Amino acid sequence: MIRSIKFWVGLSILGVFIFSSFGFALFYDSDVRQVQLLYDDNKNLIGGAPFEPSFMFPLGTDPLGYDISQKVLQGAKFTLIAVIAIGVFRVLFSFIVAIPFAFYLPEKIRKGLDQLLSSFYFIPLTIIAVFILSPILSEQLNAEGDEFFLYSFTERIGLEVIILTVLVVPLLGSMIGNMMAAVLKEEFIEGAKLLGASRWRIFTKHVIPHMLPKLVIVWCQQCVQVLIIFTHLGYFKLFFGGTDIDFNPIMADPPKSLSNEWSGLVGDYYIQIHANPYIALGPIIMFGIAIYAFQLIGEGFQHHLQTRHYKTMKHDSMSGKQKLVSETRLSFDFVHKRSA
Amino acid sequence: MKIIKKLFMQLFLTIISIVLISGLPDLIMNKNVSMYFQKIKVVLLDVIHLNEMTYMNQGKQRLFLEDIWSPYLYSLIILFGALFIAFCMAQLLTWCTLIMPMFIRRTVKNILTFLESLPDLLVFALVQMGIVLIFKKTGILVSNVASLGAEDRIYMMPIVCLMILPFVYFYKMMILLSEEELGKSYVEMSLAKGMRRIYVLIVHVTRNTSEGIFHFSKSVLWFMISNLLLVEVIFNIHGITHYMYSDFRPEMLAACLILLVIPFFLLYAVFEWTIVRFSKRGELV
Repeated sequence: MIRSIKFWVGLSILGVFIFSSFGFALFYDSDVRQVQLLYDDNKNLIGGAPFEPSFMFPLGTDPLGYDISQKVLQGAKFTLIAVIAIGVFRVLFSFIVAIPFAFYLPEKIRKGLDQLLSSFYFIPLTIIAVFILSPILSEQLNAEGDEFFLYSFTERIGLEVIILTVLVVPLLGSMIGNMMAAVLKEEFIEGAKLLGASRWRIFTKHVIPHMLPKLVIVWCQQCVQVLIIFTHLGYFKLFFGGTDIDFNPIMADPPKSLSNEWSGLVGDYYIQIHANPYIALGPIIMFGIAIYAFQLIGEGFQHHLQTRHYKTMKHDSMSGKQKLVSETRLSFDFVHKRSA
Repeated sequence: MKIIKKLFMQLFLTIISIVLISGLPDLIMNKNVSMYFQKIKVVLLDVIHLNEMTYMNQGKQRLFLEDIWSPYLYSLIILFGALFIAFCMAQLLTWCTLIMPMFIRRTVKNILTFLESLPDLLVFALVQMGIVLIFKKTGILVSNVASLGAEDRIYMMPIVCLMILPFVYFYKMMILLSEEELGKSYVEMSLAKGMRRIYVLIVHVTRNTSEGIFHFSKSVLWFMISNLLLVEVIFNIHGITHYMYSDFRPEMLAACLILLVIPFFLLYAVFEWTIVRFSKRGELV
């Protein structure tokens, strides 16, 4: 059982977002409320869209009167599930790539390969993602004046997930590979080898249990990174699942997101930053909350890993580290540890 | 000699991977693999003959290298400035924080966790709004919130925007690494010998954490180059990524990325070399 409060707070924030979003779709059919003019009890006009944040509209409304909080609620499931899925894929593929990297390559080649792969540190992900994804996600105009996408809806989502995954696999793979190689150098692996364990057994019985908790933390970091990339892509009007662009030469509508997912909302509303700042900030703040939630999960889990075998803690005033004092008696334990 | 060979290998691989990646949009657009290789060949030729590469500017063919120098330097000043200021501020504040009592340190760390999770777009938006707000309240324009064109250069806003998050990342990482270092026995030893705490912190702990920070700074830089594109588009700054974004051809992407990468590559090579020498010397003594 994980005792860290941070972990549960983070997990419940994400859970509330996703489940309430599904609930909204299930019970209200994701019907976003639109209020363009507001009257008081005596039928006097007291305001028109866009409204500022209030009790009635927690995040305000956009200029067309759509309630932003409900739009955010509707889009939460797409964005968060996509982020979680991309995070899982990234870690999973990198882990698979890392296995031969750690097990079969000799030390020297691995070090060299590691050096070479570090060249990927200089290729910024957002720029590449913007360039590669824009032909996929933006609606195009053909010679007859029809709007069309190059790929179907599922293909677009699939390609976006694949591209956002594959671009980090070299870096993440070498990182996980090094972690795995460090585990393989431990003494108990040597012991297991001497006792005749096969590679498969070492992998399943020793490496996987040691790697899994670390992978959870890596997963949290990756999810944060994906969320940040989503905000960037949103700013560049590349929305998850496709951008609906109006090619009407006279009074064209601004690019629209197809599903109200969050990066779409960021891209739609950022332009209003100076006129109605609260409209622009709402969706970005939601991204911030989601990032914070993932970070809380990661930190809480790490704390849990460090303290899971111990009951009480003392603070070391010098290093600020929590000194762990074991109270659990093992079945076999020296009484006078000092003399040993 | 060995190091130089390794570096050239790395630089070569970086350039190759940039070229390979920059062809990808074409592959996706045409769904045709042979077109992709043709495109890569074109890009490669353009990159090799960089001094003959041309681009369209206001309907005219112009030489790429002639026009790119000044925006390129401008972008580099912004990037280096932000990185340098973020690093120095983080280092100073780390020293200040680590001589504080425990409860302050813990609060600082919690605040940093919160600040770390701010999306960069939110930071840019808040800075923009803050400047407008100050102007409205006091009538003092701290800095222009947007550049008006290619000739108009603003430095303060983009540097401030770019440095805030790297500063937070550096600060947190430095505190974590230094605290780990402070728990080691040589610190206890030097304190027992009567050295001042601040002396141990600045001279020994900082030197020993520098390698970790150096490796960490690579991922910070990675993040900053991405942010540079965003900052240049938001503030309408005509830097190198602006050319890249407005042109949108694979050749342009490859050429700009390579130009952007080379100075940092050299900088890191120099740093790595000094750090290796530095730590080796320490071991020998």
